[in-house]
Amino acid sequence: MNGPWFIETLARNGDVLHRHRVNTLPIRLGRGYDNDFIVDDDYAAPRHAVIEADPDGKLVLRDLGTRNGVIHKGRRSSNIVLTGDTVVRMGHTSLRVRAADFPMPPELLDRTMHGWEGTLPGLAGVLLVGAVALLTMWLTDTRSFQLNRYLQALAFGLGAALLWSGLWAFGNRLFGRHARLGRHLFIFGCGVTALAIYKFASSALGYAWSLEMFTRYASHVAITLVAGMVYFHLATVKPQHRQRFGIVCASLALLGSGLVLVGNQQRHGRLGDELYMSVLLPPAMRASRDHSVDEFMSQVGAMKAELDIERARKARDGGEADE
Amino acid sequence: MKPVFLAILLSCLAASAATALAARDSAAGKAAGSAPPTPPLVVPPATPPATTPPAPGPGETDENAALPPPSSAAQQLYSDARADLLQIRMLLKNGRSQSTVGSGFLVGTGNLVLTNYHVVSQMALDPDVYTGEYVDTDGNSGPIELMAVDVLHDLAVVRVNRGGSGFFKVPERPVKLAQGQYLYSLGNPLDLGFAISEGAYNGVVTRSFYDQLMFTGPINSGMSGGPSVTATGTVAGVNVSKRRDGELVSFLVPVKYAQELLRKVALQGAPPKDFNPLIGQQLLAHQRTMIDRLLDEPLSIKTMGPYQVPVRESGQVRCWGRSNVKAEAAFTADAISCAMESAIYVSESQQTGHVSMTHHYVRSPTLHPLRFAALASAMFKVDRLASGRDTRLTKPSCTEQFVRTKTLPLRAVARARLPQVRRAVQLYPAERQCRRRADQPAKPARCLRRLIR
Repeated sequence: MNGPWFIETLARNGDVLHRHRVNTLPIRLGRGYDNDFIVDDDYAAPRHAVIEADPDGKLVLRDLGTRNGVIHKGRRSSNIVLTGDTVVRMGHTSLRVRAADFPMPPELLDRTMHGWEGTLPGLAGVLLVGAVALLTMWLTDTRSFQLNRYLQALAFGLGAALLWSGLWAFGNRLFGRHARLGRHLFIFGCGVTALAIYKFASSALGYAWSLEMFTRYASHVAITLVAGMVYFHLATVKPQHRQRFGIVCASLALLGSGLVLVGNQQRHGRLGDELYMSVLLPPAMRASRDHSVDEFMSQVGAMKAELDIERARKARDGGEADE
Repeated sequence: MKPVFLAILLSCLAASAATALAARDSAAGKAAGSAPPTPPLVVPPATPPATTPPAPGPGETDENAALPPPSSAAQQLYSDARADLLQIRMLLKNGRSQSTVGSGFLVGTGNLVLTNYHVVSQMALDPDVYTGEYVDTDGNSGPIELMAVDVLHDLAVVRVNRGGSGFFKVPERPVKLAQGQYLYSLGNPLDLGFAISEGAYNGVVTRSFYDQLMFTGPINSGMSGGPSVTATGTVAGVNVSKRRDGELVSFLVPVKYAQELLRKVALQGAPPKDFNPLIGQQLLAHQRTMIDRLLDEPLSIKTMGPYQVPVRESGQVRCWGRSNVKAEAAFTADAISCAMESAIYVSESQQTGHVSMTHHYVRSPTLHPLRFAALASAMFKVDRLASGRDTRLTKPSCTEQFVRTKTLPLRAVARARLPQVRRAVQLYPAERQCRRRADQPAKPARCLRRLIR
């Protein structure tokens, strides 16, 4: 192992806060100004430790008899052999020493689309959000046309987009290197659009083919979509942890779905979000067969039988509880 | 583009032929208890004023100001009647604190007291928790024993340990009354003290399912169960309820039902131990009569635009129409709501015997079909039944299907929620809804009539 050597001060998550080059051994460490590397830490001694080469040529850090000592992997020891990955703690400062010939792994493959950064995706996201806001307003507004309502909807949509993406961009700047506001806006726009598309598609499918499941359990799809959106936000912040974020988002989605199911069961005594599908579209959109009144009434009769059974069972249970 | 014309017809029938739970937010509430419950679908305007709440709410007490100054006839009547006038209190067995109070009166010279069912309902339904006592005008009190109840007419007979002076005569034959005749209503309003108020008899009201007398005079909470008598002391009726949205519009139970109940008491000997099965029987009998009466003639047909809708309009079921035509909207919505204006009081949290049906006719010449679909979907989504969890009811059930009659494509949804078969309340069906959707004119669907059977 040959010099020069680099002493790196590390943050808790392993990031290098500060790097100092030393050309010769031994290296004296401590708070005092007569050291080769000055540790600005009230818990470090003025002369805390010294790094020297042992007879085998390995780097060894030796404690100079201090109060707080030198900690490696949670245990205090007076002599620590330093490889390039050994992190020692002196007081509140974590240090690592690497020689100039320390072997580094190859670079990560850059899969970021650098052309799709900044204004372009941001604009696309804003446009998507604006379009969804206007469409929703257009669909639900049953009063006579007034421009200010549409402008208000647009303003609310864009405001929400900027707030949400702004927070993510802030986090990205904090934990990554860049804000990447455009990326986050685009992700939000896509998420909102997916939610809207699911809403319309599920209504249309449910109505056309009598598939009430699509609207009855719509909240779970919405939760999945939101979890996916959060995953992409997180992956934008820290691309190297994609797998971990995937697991986190999937578990959060499962938790959310479970909460919705349990909440529905407790509040309404059913798992679905709604008792019946309330979607009414133009009759021309019906694709599957309509039933006759008699079929419907026989279903009602079956429902009555079920209710009677449940009622009798509840009565029995209630009666037992009364005794 | 040619103007799109879409029409939608939503019909909904809610037959709470049995138990309907009280909704919390309603203008006309029952004046009993501190949390006045109301029937769920349509507010029945005549609700029992019942017993005095612990603290009268705002707007309740000021009606005292309307009490007319007592005339000499009233003075005479009160001094004659005060010996037989009682206050009936429901007490919590633990601690013997009063939970509700009402009035009652001794019949003839016997030891039987007539009052309202809703005054003693707690004692009838939960005899383990509640007991009752009477207090007379001299402040003496004693226990009461429940002898018989008539839930449908809201009457009850209790036995006390003292006899009457014979002032209140409950005649064997129905009393003949002339409209405008003076009646004097006695009781203990709002637990303030015994009072007499003067008013006029104004005929028989047929709006509620069982006849009631209209009394144009003040009746307040706490006076229910008290007698309304003619100047000679003949009981004409028993104070039962008032309209909160009106002035001095009060209702009396005609004395003929009290006569029937008293005859029953004379025949029965010992009172039943548990009143719950009895109340259940009465409610079931009421249900049968009500359904029979609602269906004894075919539903009448009303025209809404190109559609014909079935409605039931009779003395008990009133129909009201409304429209949003003046509102600043891109669509027109007309609605016909038919509802019974009364419900049977079972307990503070439970009223029953209420039927209503509503038809909506929505159309718009300007709205895009998709926007109209969004509007129709929002109007179709009414979740009255499913809200809340109630251990007394089964969970809401639902059947939905796309139905095509000879002429109409329909979206049919039937929802039901039933009370448990338990103790008093074994009723069926609880509440059902039928909704229809249509895009072309046709005959009314049959599902409406079938559902309430």
